[in-house]
Amino acid sequence: MASVVPMKEKKLMDVKIGELPKWILMRDFTPKGIAGAFQRGYYRYYNKYVNVKKGSVAGVSMVLAAYVLFNYCCSYKELKHERRRKYH
Amino acid sequence: MLSRAVLSTVATAAPCVKNAALLGPGVLQATRIFHTGQPSQAPVPPLPEYGGKVRHGLIPEEFFQFLYPKTGVTGPYVLGTGLILYFLSKEIYVVTPETISAVSTIGLLVYVVKKYGASIGEFADKLNEQKIAQLEEAKQASMKYIQDAINLEKSQQALVQKRHYLFDVQRNNIAMALEVTYRDRLHRVYREVKNRLDYQIAVQNMMRRKEQEHMINWVEKHVVQSISAQQE
Repeated sequence: MASVVPMKEKKLMDVKIGELPKWILMRDFTPKGIAGAFQRGYYRYYNKYVNVKKGSVAGVSMVLAAYVLFNYCCSYKELKHERRRKYH
Repeated sequence: MLSRAVLSTVATAAPCVKNAALLGPGVLQATRIFHTGQPSQAPVPPLPEYGGKVRHGLIPEEFFQFLYPKTGVTGPYVLGTGLILYFLSKEIYVVTPETISAVSTIGLLVYVVKKYGASIGEFADKLNEQKIAQLEEAKQASMKYIQDAINLEKSQQALVQKRHYLFDVQRNNIAMALEVTYRDRLHRVYREVKNRLDYQIAVQNMMRRKEQEHMINWVEKHVVQSISAQQE
């Protein structure tokens, strides 16, 4: 039973692993498309965790945690020199 | 609109001047139409009550649900522990003096959030409720004002049906005034006529009296004359 949903409209969770490269290449990589993707992602997060009547600390803390991780990854190159052992 | 008027005047005044370059932008401006679609009438959906569920303030619930079928309840925690041990042992996470400050900062934050989180949430909810109550009040006041205006309009429209009373009263007043003047003049006529007739009667009486007195005087005079003539 072949799926009747065309490839273009499948969400990421419905795409099979073998079709993944094809699906990625199909996305819109123009500047407008990328800006649109950032906007969509932002609004998805905002409407789910921040724009509610009884928001919690999770809405902000997840962003801060992601920022912490990002900075740690960016400064790993300098931190490598402070390791206690050279060989693991 | 102005450009269209200009165009028409130019076309009628100088039909030989066909300067398409001059008229081009004006034509474009005049014929562009905006807002042709229907605005969406769907009501705005209300804000959700709670946000997406997040465990320990960091990891969304969806991750736990994603791993539940394969690993049960403890799966994500085992994964977390394994990852932490791996990062520490391979020194992908390096233990520096900053680690201690990070641990104390995070401990302090967690303590503050656990202790005062609920009360701050209630305070924010109260502020929100005050704002909503204010807006609701404004809305109710505006609705009441408009409702009062509608009622006033309705009552005034109902009054229009009762206008004929006013006109009846005015008509009655005018009829009465006419009647009064008519009777007044009738009375005057009667008085004047009576006056004139009384005058005539008075004149006749006076004439009779005068004649009587004159006759009496004349008879007396002649009697006195005859008596005095007899006495001689």
